[in-house]
Amino acid sequence: MSEPTSLDDAAVGPPEHLHPLFLLTGFAGSMRGMVGGYAGLGYLAVSGRLQTALFGAILLLLFMAAALLLYWKRFEYRVGENEIRIDSGIVNRTHRSIPFDRIQDVDITQGPIARILGLAKVKFETGGSAGEEVGVLQAILLGRAQELRTLVRSRRGQAVAVVAGMPAEKIPVDTPPIYAMDLKRLFLAGTFNFSLAVFAGLFGLTQTFGDVLGFDPFSRAFWLSVLSAGGPARDFIIAHQVAAAVAGAVLLVLIGIVTGVVRTVLTDFGFRLDRTGVGLRRRRGLLTRTDVTLPVNRAQAAVIATGPVRDRLGWRELRLQSLAKDEGSRGAHVVAPLASDEEVDDILDQLGWPPLPPSIGWVRVSRAYVGILAAAMAPLYVAAIANLVLVPPAGAAFVAALLAVIAVRFLAWSRTGYAVDGDRLLTRIGWWRRRITVLPARKIQSVDLRESFVSRLFGVSSLQFGVAGGGMTGHSIPAIPRGEARKLRDRLLGFAT
Amino acid sequence: MTTEPEQPAPPALEPVEPGYKNVLRVRFLIFWLAIWAAATVFDRTALQDTEFAGFPTIAVFVVAAAGVLTAPQRIYARLHYRLTEKLLQVVRGWLFHVDTVVPLVRVQHIDVTRGPLEKIFGVATLVVHTAGTHNSIVTLPGLAPKRAAQIRDIIREHVRTDFA
Repeated sequence: MSEPTSLDDAAVGPPEHLHPLFLLTGFAGSMRGMVGGYAGLGYLAVSGRLQTALFGAILLLLFMAAALLLYWKRFEYRVGENEIRIDSGIVNRTHRSIPFDRIQDVDITQGPIARILGLAKVKFETGGSAGEEVGVLQAILLGRAQELRTLVRSRRGQAVAVVAGMPAEKIPVDTPPIYAMDLKRLFLAGTFNFSLAVFAGLFGLTQTFGDVLGFDPFSRAFWLSVLSAGGPARDFIIAHQVAAAVAGAVLLVLIGIVTGVVRTVLTDFGFRLDRTGVGLRRRRGLLTRTDVTLPVNRAQAAVIATGPVRDRLGWRELRLQSLAKDEGSRGAHVVAPLASDEEVDDILDQLGWPPLPPSIGWVRVSRAYVGILAAAMAPLYVAAIANLVLVPPAGAAFVAALLAVIAVRFLAWSRTGYAVDGDRLLTRIGWWRRRITVLPARKIQSVDLRESFVSRLFGVSSLQFGVAGGGMTGHSIPAIPRGEARKLRDRLLGFAT
Repeated sequence: MTTEPEQPAPPALEPVEPGYKNVLRVRFLIFWLAIWAAATVFDRTALQDTEFAGFPTIAVFVVAAAGVLTAPQRIYARLHYRLTEKLLQVVRGWLFHVDTVVPLVRVQHIDVTRGPLEKIFGVATLVVHTAGTHNSIVTLPGLAPKRAAQIRDIIREHVRTDFA
């Protein structure tokens, strides 16, 4: 081993390995990473070469075990006076040093197995290009993880002495949380999380694997055969077609709600948001429990999301776009899955942001927002008309779909707008997925003013704002008259510089 | 159409070096040569016995010739930039027109790059990195190397590392 410094250097600290139980927990991870291998084995097994498949499976397992063991053996981290060093790599060695000054925060994640074993995954958040696995310790003891977090915070000289030396689970709870979800709220949020993704998944499966199940519930023949099997049931259904349709719809809704509730309970169980010295601390999760701190000054923008029904009932979801990346895929940190307007204002207040004004003077975007889409779909009209002439039923469906797309865009237009509130930009989009984005002007990194050959016909431009961090769909305002777009840009850049 | 009618304050917007046209021409030429070669091979092998024989070879050649002869000139003519005390502005494109403004205080770091073609024709590309997720990289090609270094030095004075 060619270490960059001598092993007993006090400033670098003694080398530490991951916890040996990582060999167990890491196995699940590498099993997941071997999807291609399973496909190959499955093919072998299906095509009758069972022995080869078995041999391959054993080989694969051995390979994974060996790789894991080597990874563990070659992975060392040291906690020095000013930095954390991570030496990793089996063949290509990487020596990474992360100065404490550069660590924004330490995320601790525990999966279900890790929780049983008392292990935790530790991730050092740096401001650098997110997404890479820059500083992750896959599995160390939970106590050590919390020690590390405390150490990093104290070395950064932040005012978090309150937390020092205390295990995370036993932080004094004198101060009430800024936001927490009780069970009732959790189930309500789950209901709004209504999802028919299960059906999409099933549909995809039956399409891909044909009759792996032995039947295809998405084909007409399947239902005909089911119905013809039972006499009384069939008579009943045929006699009460409307009732059957209603029952089917109710079932669909029920399944959708159950899916939503299960998903929400899994991620958001015990949701709790606290104010700590550096920022907002969020804990949540049923099986995988996460504990993340979002430093307040790293928050770049806030998104207040809702839907038509939730909006009417006064419920919002609040997400923060932060430089620190979430462990999930969403990119933005949910700080309140289901909150009232007052609760949203409270959380914004904790960030030091003023609450949203009670009535916002939205400037609507140009009607060209609808026109541009209608114009851009021009090639489809030709196809639709051709269809209408050649295959009338299919053509009618096609035309209806095109009209529906335009109608949805029109609804979206009626709710799309922007407003400048003090030194921040508020944008509102969407009819079904309603979003209000709060973007402080000093967080704007760059501004694009875009025109295409279609939008030019309407004399409008769109503005796109570069904002740091987060994986949100971007900050943009579509279809503003050209002159206004320039004025708005100059005004916002005036705040920014 | 060498100037866009809707651009504000035209005198402040500067064009880039004419040498950039040649860079683009060679790049386009290489790109289209590859496509044309592929089309010709496809033509000779797959379409030999059909009534379309010879069509791809000619069609791709015509498109390629048109592209190489006209596009670089147009791209060059529509590429402008402006450096003020606080902002860097890059204006480019016609079909898809993009007008990017980067406040200098938001720049994270700056590169000046020169590929082999750019060296031959005496130009350089300025690459400005911001912390943004969208357009976190803004490129300004076709600058004279001296000018690129000059802009880099101006921007460097403004570079800060804090986000707040």
